[in-house]
Amino acid sequence: MTGVPLNIDLQQIMLHLFNFTILFGALYILLYKPVKNFMEGREQYYADMDSKAEDALRSAEDSRKVYDDKLKAFDEEVRSEKAKLRKDLDAERDRRVAEAKADAEKILSDARTEAGRQKDEIISSAQKEITGMVTDAMEKLTLEQSASDAFDQFLDAAETEDKQQ
Amino acid sequence: MSKQERRKAIIVFAVIAAVFLAASILTGGGSGKEETVQEVMRDAVLHDLNRVNLFGLEVNPGLLSGVIVSTGLIIFALICRIFVIPKFKMVPGRFQLVLETVVGLFSNMAKGNSKINGFLGAYIFAAGTYIFTGTLFELLGVQAVTVSGHSISLPAPLSDINGAIMMGCLSYLVIMSGGIAGNGVKGIGKTLKEYSLPISLSFRLFGALLSGALVTELVYYYSSLSYVLPVLVGVLFTLLHALIQAYVLTMLTSLFYGQVSDNTPKPPKEKRKKHKKQQTETAEKTIDTADAQTAA
Repeated sequence: MTGVPLNIDLQQIMLHLFNFTILFGALYILLYKPVKNFMEGREQYYADMDSKAEDALRSAEDSRKVYDDKLKAFDEEVRSEKAKLRKDLDAERDRRVAEAKADAEKILSDARTEAGRQKDEIISSAQKEITGMVTDAMEKLTLEQSASDAFDQFLDAAETEDKQQ
Repeated sequence: MSKQERRKAIIVFAVIAAVFLAASILTGGGSGKEETVQEVMRDAVLHDLNRVNLFGLEVNPGLLSGVIVSTGLIIFALICRIFVIPKFKMVPGRFQLVLETVVGLFSNMAKGNSKINGFLGAYIFAAGTYIFTGTLFELLGVQAVTVSGHSISLPAPLSDINGAIMMGCLSYLVIMSGGIAGNGVKGIGKTLKEYSLPISLSFRLFGALLSGALVTELVYYYSSLSYVLPVLVGVLFTLLHALIQAYVLTMLTSLFYGQVSDNTPKPPKEKRKKHKKQQTETAEKTIDTADAQTAA
């Protein structure tokens, strides 16, 4: 017994301290640091992977946005083109309808003119035919009368001859 | 294994146990007792009778235990460093998981309590490991020969008052280093305010481990108590102490380290009072819980 309460010994405290310091250093170098480094490395690896995935997702979102915008612009363009085409189409249709109307009117008027002409022609030819027929009939009538007279004359002549013989 | 084989194995086991029991009773007879129970208990506290030789120095057996535990831990760490850690995988196996859990536990405890936590994490890892394995070392009953020629079972390193004082004071110095790192000279003042800390840390550790050691000594002193009971006593007074004391010291160290290294600007007076009250309550709660667990 040294007289110190509880047998506290400074030398032994220092020896304990020395022992623990060596243990601390060894555990730190051999176990704590490598394991912690590995854990941090893994955490970093997964964090990198996560951030890469997030970047990829973000870039995909951006691309989607760009394509959405492009698609929207394209849709707009298509819509305006469609409207323009419709307008052109309407104009063309109107034009063609107008043309067709004009053609139809022209055809109608030509037909009317032709019909009028043909009518006139028919009327004139009919008139001519009627005139001819009338002339022929007259001629026929006239001829018929002269022929019978001639025949009568012939018959008279013949009878006369017979009588003479 | 068939039913018959299992029955056979149980019978063989029971016979072997009965033989050992009979042998222990027959070889007893009190001839091995060289000290009274009072002397054993007194020596467990003071370590003034049964001293051991360590490299020519007469020291308490606790120091020899400390050296053995440290050597064992260093060899274990070396084996892990050479054979296990290089083979670590991204998806851990069982042993890797155990190592990562232990390191992560102390590292996260340090992170949770202080912004400056690199050194603190390493310190509480070493301290926690030392307290835990040192306390469990008592269970092994490693024998040593005293300078007077008696055979003794080596105790836990921290059931030696010198070991406990070392751990308490070193923890206090680590806390002070945190104060200096976080607040400079002001940090020393902050740490000195907690002047009772080295004593409380040392004696809490010493008292808790000593109580376990004393009960174990008492149980083993009487051969009639040495059957079955040590299984319970060993678990209750050693394993629980190992866990609780490792947790309490590391928790308190990191808690006070965090307090003294905290350099965030002070909140207004009313808030400060509230903040201080909260901090004190948290620390008191931790200490109370630990003490209650120890007492239980």
